[in-house]
Amino acid sequence: MAAEEAASGAAHHGGGLAIDPMHQFRVETIFPIHFGNIDASFTNASLWMLIAAGLVTLLTIVGMGSRSLVPGRLQSVAELSYEFVSNMLRDNVGDAGKRFFPFVFTLFMFVLFCNMLGMMPYSFTVTSHIIVTFALASFIFIAVTILGFAVHGLHFFHFFVPKGVPVALLPLLVVIEVISYLTRPISLSVRLFANMMAGHTMLKVFAGFVIAMGWFGGFLPLAFMVAFTGLEILVAFLQAYVFAILTCIYLNDALHMH
Amino acid sequence: MGVAFRLSTELVAGIFVGGAIGLGLDTWLGTKPLFLLIFFFLGVAAGILNVFRTAKQMTAEAERNAGNGKPGA
Repeated sequence: MAAEEAASGAAHHGGGLAIDPMHQFRVETIFPIHFGNIDASFTNASLWMLIAAGLVTLLTIVGMGSRSLVPGRLQSVAELSYEFVSNMLRDNVGDAGKRFFPFVFTLFMFVLFCNMLGMMPYSFTVTSHIIVTFALASFIFIAVTILGFAVHGLHFFHFFVPKGVPVALLPLLVVIEVISYLTRPISLSVRLFANMMAGHTMLKVFAGFVIAMGWFGGFLPLAFMVAFTGLEILVAFLQAYVFAILTCIYLNDALHMH
Repeated sequence: MGVAFRLSTELVAGIFVGGAIGLGLDTWLGTKPLFLLIFFFLGVAAGILNVFRTAKQMTAEAERNAGNGKPGA
C-alpha cells in the first residue's frame, strides 16, 4: 500500500508528497471471500459497518445495563437517543408508527454512527459510498411500498391520483406522480452520499493546502480545517437525522396516504 | 447549504428518473429519441413538484420549531 501511495504521489507531483484527496474512499480487501463469480470479500467498508453496528449494540446494552432511576452518562445517551427517535416517529407518523420504532431506531443509529466514525482520522466513511446509501434507501423504498399495499390493498394506487383535478389532465398527472414517487430512493441516497463525500474530500483538499503552503502560510488553511471539522460533525448528525425523518415521512404516506 | 442541497437533489433525481424511464422504454420498443424526450420533460415536472413539496414541508417544519421554541425537535 505504501508503495502504491508513493507511486500515485510520484505520478501527480513528480516525486513530491502524495496528496490524493480521493484515496480515503478506496475500498481495500482485508481478506478475500469468493462464492463462484461473486466477490464477497471482507473489506474495510465491511469492517467499519461492523464496528458501527457493534458500537450501537454496545451503547444500548451496556448503557441500559444498570437500569438505574438516575441515569449515568452512558445511560443518558442511550435514553436520549431512544427519546429522540421516539419523538420523531410520534410527530411524523403518529401512534401507528410505534410498530416501526425498532426499524427507524436501528436505521438512525447505524447511519449516525457510520457518519460519526468517518470523522475519526484513519477511519473509513461507509456512507460516502453511493452503493451503501442506495442499498439502504432502496430497502426502505421497497419495504414502504409493500407496507402501503399491505395496509390499503389496491386502494394504495389512489396515492398517485391527486385530488380535485380535471379528468383530462389526470393521465399526465398520474405519470408525474409515479415518477415523483420513484425519485424517493435516489434523492434519499444521493443526499446522504454527496454530503459525506463532498465534506470529506474538502477536508482532505484543505489538509493538502496546509502541507503545500508550508510553515508560514499553512496556518490559514489549518484554522479553516478546525472550523470545517466542526461543521462536518454537524453535517454528519444532520444527514442521519434527515435520513431518519424522511423514512418517517414515507412510512406516514404508506400508512395514512394523503 | 443543507436547504439548497436538499432542494437541488430533488430536482436532479426527478430528471434522472424521468430520463432513465424514457431511455429504458426506447431501448425496449426501439423508438430511440421519442420516449426519452417525453419522459425527460415529465421528469422535470416531477422534479419541480418534489421541490415544491419539500419547500412546503420545510416551511411547515420551521414554523413548528419556531412555535415550540425547541431546536431540532
